[in-house]
Amino acid sequence: MAEASYTVASDSETIGEDKSSAFPEIAIGIDIGTSQCSVAVWNGSEVELLKNTRNQKIMRSYVTFKDDTPSGGVSSQLSQEHDLLSGATIFNMKRLIGRVDTDPVVHSSKNLPFLVQTLDIGVRPFIAALVNNMWRSTTPEEVLAIFLVELRVMAEAQLKRPIRNVVLTVPVSFSRFQLTRIERACAMAGLHVLRLMPEPTAVALLYGQQQQQSSHDNMGSGSEKIALIFNMGAGYCDVAVTATAGGVSQIKALAGSTIGGEDLLQNMMHYLLPESQTLFKTHGIKEIKSMALLRVATEDAIHRLSSQISVQIDLDLGDGLKINKVINRDEFEEVNRKVFVKCESLIIQCLQDAKVEVEDVNDVIVVGGCSYIPKVKNLVASMFNGKELYNGVNPLEAAVRGAAVEGAVASGINDPFGNLDLLTIQATPLAIGIRADGNNFVPVIPRNTTMPARRDLVFTTCHDNQTEALIIVYEGEEKKAEENHLLGYFKVVGIPEAPKGVPEINVCMDIDAANVLRVLVGVVMPGSRQPTIPIMEVRMPTVDDGHGWCVEALNRKCGNTQDLVTVQKKV
Amino acid sequence: MSKKKLFMPLSTFLRRSLYSIPPYCPFDSSQFKCSTYISLPTPPFTPYNHLSHDPSRYFLLNAGISVKSVCSVSSQKIETRCWNCHATPESAPFLVCQSCRSIQPADKSIDYFDIFGLEKNYDIEVSTLEGKYKNWQKKLHPDLVHSKSEKERDFAAEQSAKVIDAYRTLTRPLSRAIYLLKLEGIEVDEEQTVSDPELLAEIMEIRGAVEEAADSEALNHILSEMQEKVKHWSNVFANAFQSRNFEEAKSSIQRMTYYERVTDAAAKKL
Repeated sequence: MAEASYTVASDSETIGEDKSSAFPEIAIGIDIGTSQCSVAVWNGSEVELLKNTRNQKIMRSYVTFKDDTPSGGVSSQLSQEHDLLSGATIFNMKRLIGRVDTDPVVHSSKNLPFLVQTLDIGVRPFIAALVNNMWRSTTPEEVLAIFLVELRVMAEAQLKRPIRNVVLTVPVSFSRFQLTRIERACAMAGLHVLRLMPEPTAVALLYGQQQQQSSHDNMGSGSEKIALIFNMGAGYCDVAVTATAGGVSQIKALAGSTIGGEDLLQNMMHYLLPESQTLFKTHGIKEIKSMALLRVATEDAIHRLSSQISVQIDLDLGDGLKINKVINRDEFEEVNRKVFVKCESLIIQCLQDAKVEVEDVNDVIVVGGCSYIPKVKNLVASMFNGKELYNGVNPLEAAVRGAAVEGAVASGINDPFGNLDLLTIQATPLAIGIRADGNNFVPVIPRNTTMPARRDLVFTTCHDNQTEALIIVYEGEEKKAEENHLLGYFKVVGIPEAPKGVPEINVCMDIDAANVLRVLVGVVMPGSRQPTIPIMEVRMPTVDDGHGWCVEALNRKCGNTQDLVTVQKKV
Repeated sequence: MSKKKLFMPLSTFLRRSLYSIPPYCPFDSSQFKCSTYISLPTPPFTPYNHLSHDPSRYFLLNAGISVKSVCSVSSQKIETRCWNCHATPESAPFLVCQSCRSIQPADKSIDYFDIFGLEKNYDIEVSTLEGKYKNWQKKLHPDLVHSKSEKERDFAAEQSAKVIDAYRTLTRPLSRAIYLLKLEGIEVDEEQTVSDPELLAEIMEIRGAVEEAADSEALNHILSEMQEKVKHWSNVFANAFQSRNFEEAKSSIQRMTYYERVTDAAAKKL
């Protein structure tokens, strides 16, 4: 151990933490939501949410650009509404981070009251804020980093120590590429990511802790409990099934989608003003103001519909454009029917993947901002035969509290009462595989595989005397390769000439304990037990921004000459 | 010998990560030196490495790697002591030292049944596995040992992966059956072509039924039918294994494999 004194962090790696320090620093938990963010920390006996100078525990996730000094929702004292109307405020970055401009989610963000411009060729979208009548460009990473810095400053002031290690919660549907973007934003803010937790698994950890505490109190045997966690925020909807016993939570299945409060809001805005897209297309100062006004009023109406049966909307968007309408709850639910159907299907899929029946679920936990919407609560409860929802967690704080607990556990903190005697065994949220059999996505590690995981699958050539094979690695659930998230690609060369179907191309995927994905490819000829060429090991993701181009370029360049097929199973 | 028999998983050529194993460890460490090297051709196989795959891919492992060697290892008891505090184990299996709580390097003589403290039988109480599995993970999971040395973290990764594989393998009847035979030194080639015309006809018929099934009712009917069949052949296997009739055990595994595949196909359609 003594020799290795100089190490070079891998290119795709952030700098390793200093493991030798005698007093472990407790990592803080951060929930950076699409619309709101919060920070929590284990204070030695329990989780505590940190407050900003305005005594808020939950802050808005936005950044206002002004005269060269951007300020975020954590510290900003200014009226958000005013900045919003001027186009200087950027938000919803969690929906845009790591996405290319052909992504439908990016397109649906074009009517936000700032500039989201697409060229529709698979590059990063252009994002800009209007400052002093000038478009100032920015990136999702930069915006996230700005309020991460503010969160960090706030936490350092309160905890009176420097903060470096963090546990962040992320949506289930984030690809590994998107995770690298989150890590990038953290690095820009001087933070080291100790762990990225899918949001519902943070809630699962909190639930596991509560179950363990209550079994201690009752001196119970701590029998296994199965919980379904439904987490719907502004940007994403996630579901998890967890089985917990004795402080150990096994994530049985995860399901997630990019739907959330933002979609409800967009649908309502479209309902109130169907021609808004064309009206606001030019993104002038006036249009931005109208868009923002419509947005604020609609958001407010949706919030009020959680407690009222109907709301009156009176809105003057300027230029004689007026909206005077009464919206009732039924209308709201009808306009958003598709979103709610999608929520249901996520729950069904998650239960099926977990091989758990509705009757087996002990607790149903509904969290996230959308959990205040009556329809959301009702639809989940009705799927569990009207079961009463778990009320042991605060819907807005559950994820960040779970992240704080994980921060303490992952920092190696001991609790004399055993409150940190916890473990979450994670599962892969998305399948990882390669393109093969034409343009199909062939998973090598299926989704919901317990991590760490290692699987391999044998492929073979599809042309006679094919000496090269292109390995294109994707992550996702879609059948067609290009509809999944691209993680990277590389070529295997030097395959011995042989009739098609003879060389064995073995693709092995390995996710280690630190959630690092490695793809290994070896070539074996029948009759030999040794690989014929050196095995290739590639750490993924390798793609950078603008990767939408790459696969098309590859296709143009190579056609199908370097394709692979799976080795067919017999009947 | 069918060509398929030659397929091998990559993990037979290389082992992840590369544990820097101390020289006094009860197995050869010469092949693994540095964490970024792949030890190419040597076959340093530990049993779980082979078995860490879907049963559907077990055929990949038939490339002449002797499983019997595994069994021979288990017959000769190695004198084990904790690598850290040199205490002798108080109880088997020795994955964690009871005195200093250090995680031990994976010992290939410990099989999946040992981990769960079970006799090598087909009929086991599956419901008891989860609790034991979680207890092990609480002691072994890599997430919990970040403050320990790199060596021990590697042991944790290795042991934890082994327990995950053990749990996965023993939970499912089919993989449990295949594993049992493997411990007896018998390889099951799941891809073996069906020679029994009766079985072949039956498979074609069921496949057709799944394809034609128009609604979830029909599919559910097929599913429950398949469950019955798997159960039946699972009993046949249990008896055959008990009486050490390995030929019959193998053919019942083949049957179970087919019915499970139909189940998967039907469930996918549902």
